[in-house]
Amino acid sequence: MKQIVGVADMKVSNNPADSIMTYSLGSCIGLVIYDSIAKVGGILHYMLPESGIDKIKAQKNPYMFADTGIPRLFKGAYKFDAKKSRMKICVFGGAQILDQSGFFNIGNRNYMALKKVFFKNKVIIDTEQVGGAANRTIRLEIKSGDVFVKTSGSKEVKI
Amino acid sequence: MSTIKELIKEIKNLKPIPAIVNQITMAIDDPNCSAKDIANIIRFDPSVTANLLKICNSAYFGLPNPVESVQDAVSILGMNQIIELVLIKSGAKALSKKQKGYGLHEGIMWKHAVSSALISKEICKKTKLGNENLIFTATLLKDIGKTVLDRYVSNSFEKIITLVQKKGYSFREAEKKVIGIDHGELGAMIATQWKFSSKMINIIRHHHLSDKSQQKNTDIAIVYLSDCICMMMGIGIGEDGLAYRFHGDVIKNLNITHTDIAVIIADFTLEMQKVENLISVT
Repeated sequence: MKQIVGVADMKVSNNPADSIMTYSLGSCIGLVIYDSIAKVGGILHYMLPESGIDKIKAQKNPYMFADTGIPRLFKGAYKFDAKKSRMKICVFGGAQILDQSGFFNIGNRNYMALKKVFFKNKVIIDTEQVGGAANRTIRLEIKSGDVFVKTSGSKEVKI
Repeated sequence: MSTIKELIKEIKNLKPIPAIVNQITMAIDDPNCSAKDIANIIRFDPSVTANLLKICNSAYFGLPNPVESVQDAVSILGMNQIIELVLIKSGAKALSKKQKGYGLHEGIMWKHAVSSALISKEICKKTKLGNENLIFTATLLKDIGKTVLDRYVSNSFEKIITLVQKKGYSFREAEKKVIGIDHGELGAMIATQWKFSSKMINIIRHHHLSDKSQQKNTDIAIVYLSDCICMMMGIGIGEDGLAYRFHGDVIKNLNITHTDIAVIIADFTLEMQKVENLISVT
């Protein structure tokens, strides 16, 4: 079954019939994790780097921010017996409008926030397609762990 | 026939925007026009009134008691909100269709239009700048040129996307280079045909702020920033992606910081379901 991850949302599954998908990332980040032994995977689609700008909103929807969303994605997979050491990690999105630099570059700040969380927790990224002015849509198949990305201006490709 | 001549012919054959949009856009530009005048414009159009009441009574507002007249609607929701709802309802038809060239499925362009227009309101509130109604309407209709240019973008897509991906062009610059006109210019021609106010036409023409002489125009700057925020959020973007120029100075001139933008994005995200409900009833 197709499971759609909305904006500021997360889905984890161990059902081999599932395909998890998130559309149109823009400057948001789509984080894909998959454990090929437990056959568990998930996608988080977060929009902003730090929950510090508004703790109340982060409580209402923790998936909106990197620092509150990423740990929940991993914990969601652990519930289905996934192990961090076996996980394949793919990162997509973080795009920017042309010439969008410095603090206004939310895409880059979203990516840096993820790197910070990963550095602290010793997580290594296997594949990433981050930045540029391209819009991305991603899909994960639970049965195989295959990840597909559709980038604006190009056709969908398997990673 | 040259492409531009063909486009002009196509614009002339375009179905006109409902008359009420025109009447309201003229009215909000006229300092002598009162809220009562606008309520009267709406009241005398039965189908618009019926639709307005349907939206007011939808889940988007969750009002405890049913709204039964335009007067009720104005007193409960305020004049600005009523103008917005009428414009949203009337603009939906023109902007909802699938746009193949831009890679926008049915309804996606409309979602972008409504989302960016709602964001423009937040920017007006935050900056205390600009004519809120004018900006809301212009933001809603800014991409009207895409609806006509779409077929030409589709026919020349490979050329356009090559300029964007290989030569550093923005999508708008590539449209202009390949087709001879961009969606802002074409939108302004449509707006002229629809007899919109000169301010509205100017905003639609320059909403990507490619003309430096327009960058100090606060109304356009707010429309521009609303569009940028929607692009960052990935709302209603297609094969053009985020390939438009960013003008950080324009945003700084509005006294908007990156934290303000993050707060606007967070607020809007929490309201997203409500926005979906609003779109589904329009």
